[in-house]
Amino acid sequence: MTKVISRRAICFSTAVLTLAAAIPNFAGTAYAAGETIKLGLVAPMSGPNARYGSFSMRGAQLAVKEINDAGGVDGRKIELVSGDSQGTPVEGVSATRRLIDSDKVDFIIGDVSSSVTLAMQPVAEDAGILLLNAASSNPKITYGAGVGGYKWTFRNYPTDENRALIVAKYAAEQRGFTKFSVLSVDSDYGRSAIEFTKKYLPQYKGQILTEDYYKEGEVDFRSVLAKIRDSGAQAIILYGLADTTPIIARQMTEVGLAGKVPVIGNGEFNTPSTIKAAPRALEGAVEAAAWLPAWDAPKSKAFVDKFTAANKEGPNNHAYVHWETVHLLAQAIKEAGSPDREKVREALSKIKYDSAVGEVTFDDHNQARLPMILLQIEGGKPSIKGAFTAEIQYPAK
Amino acid sequence: MFSTLAEQIINGIVTGSVYAIVAVGMTMIFGVLRAINFAHGEYYMLGTFGAWFAIDYLELSYEASIVVGILATIVIAYVVGRLVMQRMVGAPAEAGVLATLGIALILQNTVILVFGGGYKFFSGGYIEPVSVLGFTLAQQRMLILVVCLLVFIGLELMVTYSRMGKSMRAVSQNIECCEVVGIDVPQVVLRTFILGAALAALSGVLTAPVNVNVYGGMGELITFKTLPIIIMGGLGNVRGTFFAAMLLGIAESLVATYIGLQFRDTVGFVTLILTLMWRPYGLFSTEARF
Repeated sequence: MTKVISRRAICFSTAVLTLAAAIPNFAGTAYAAGETIKLGLVAPMSGPNARYGSFSMRGAQLAVKEINDAGGVDGRKIELVSGDSQGTPVEGVSATRRLIDSDKVDFIIGDVSSSVTLAMQPVAEDAGILLLNAASSNPKITYGAGVGGYKWTFRNYPTDENRALIVAKYAAEQRGFTKFSVLSVDSDYGRSAIEFTKKYLPQYKGQILTEDYYKEGEVDFRSVLAKIRDSGAQAIILYGLADTTPIIARQMTEVGLAGKVPVIGNGEFNTPSTIKAAPRALEGAVEAAAWLPAWDAPKSKAFVDKFTAANKEGPNNHAYVHWETVHLLAQAIKEAGSPDREKVREALSKIKYDSAVGEVTFDDHNQARLPMILLQIEGGKPSIKGAFTAEIQYPAK
Repeated sequence: MFSTLAEQIINGIVTGSVYAIVAVGMTMIFGVLRAINFAHGEYYMLGTFGAWFAIDYLELSYEASIVVGILATIVIAYVVGRLVMQRMVGAPAEAGVLATLGIALILQNTVILVFGGGYKFFSGGYIEPVSVLGFTLAQQRMLILVVCLLVFIGLELMVTYSRMGKSMRAVSQNIECCEVVGIDVPQVVLRTFILGAALAALSGVLTAPVNVNVYGGMGELITFKTLPIIIMGGLGNVRGTFFAAMLLGIAESLVATYIGLQFRDTVGFVTLILTLMWRPYGLFSTEARF
């Protein structure tokens, strides 16, 4: 038995199909109720920064689950799509393009590395996709955002400028250090933190005796640590990667710096496994972080408990900031009344969001006003010395 | 001043020992196969992962984990050797490059798929510092130094006196003649390959306690560091590799101290370029071998 398909039938069905395919385009950005909201997450899921990506992903996943379990944002579920930046700008840009072009995401959160975020900004801008950064600290990201240029970039994370200032101030005033050695990661994060440290150190009569930057993945610090030991520095300014901190700390013990010269800066000095790797080297370490698990606020404690229950290990800073940022975005979508990108952007610039470290508002450079938390390792545990917010002085254009 | 210099040279020798154990395997494989094994760093990674697995999952001691790491690598190297390396005898150079690069990708990504891309914390080893001649070193580094010397003495003796060493040298000189006099070339290739991979694994397991982190991509950096060493040492030359590794280790250490840590990784490539320009047959041989 054969079925004859007439030419007319083909013409007709083609016309119908074309029309059907065209309808979503006619509809444009008018979202149907109940449709999912696609949220892209660009993070280093492999490579030397994979630890950050893994925590970021799990933080974001937890927030998405919480939102969806509570019925979504005005009835719309959030779908999380992951893009691997490998911590390098080239891969970060490809991942961003893939999320925009093939996954058709509505919003992007990313990346952790400042170098990658800086490269993603123009891509998001061209596509008119909201890029909400949750974990990069280089000040240039928001120097160039909002009234500074990129309309679609927002950052919900404090900057290196704030961080460098409070670390330098604490080291000088509370610890009485004047001679420093620099050992930071060779990236936009490590270098900008030192740039701003140099801006503020003279105010506290501090001087830098040696200055070295390590490549991501470096494992041998004995030579440079011996040089620092012989230079007579009182503290090592370390803006590094969390995974490298235990290596540096162990080798500090090896060359005889442990217990004599503390590290100050940032690089997850307060993580229990890091302290366990070299307790003597990290005693007295000073760190400025956006958040830490020991932060004493009910919302923060509840997050730590929930994350630990779901993952069999405690969260880090990146898990927290991504969890919080997904909730922030959800609130912005809710206040906008629809996932329309223009409206969400408007809502975000006016938002008053109640985060675990205080109320979040954005300035005219789309930069969140957020505190840095200062802590010191005492008796093998982080002891919080306070939270400091600084209004950013943008360079005159 | 003098003690700083002496200390940095010792640091360089320790670093060089790690490179030397990895590089010597790579250079021997080159000797018999005439192919650079771009997957060599992956066996370093596999050894370390095996040991980490033994400590974290099987709760074995560090000493036992060394054995587990090396045995696991030998099994994988046997499979790769049978399936891939033996077919490369007499194959054109491009075949070797493609095959070994492919193996590197497969091994690396399999490990990432199975264990995840994140860094693992290696908890075994002897990391307590000891004082030697006024310098402090972790015990583990002393161990690396001693093992490196033993490995090279053993290899010298093997290459010079044992039947396997002699057949390895024969294969590296002339494959056709070996076949004529009854040397089983594929067998020699397989054995050399397994020996080289096992040495890379040994180096990985010994270094893990001081490098702390274990992750899927860790072999890549090692491959790139060993490449200049085997070329400087004269491809296929065991003794040359030892001295080239020490030279690179010391040079890196001095650059990190007196110029800056960020320039450390350039040392290997600069020396590679210089060697290729002026002594493409290596620093320690008087003439080109082929």
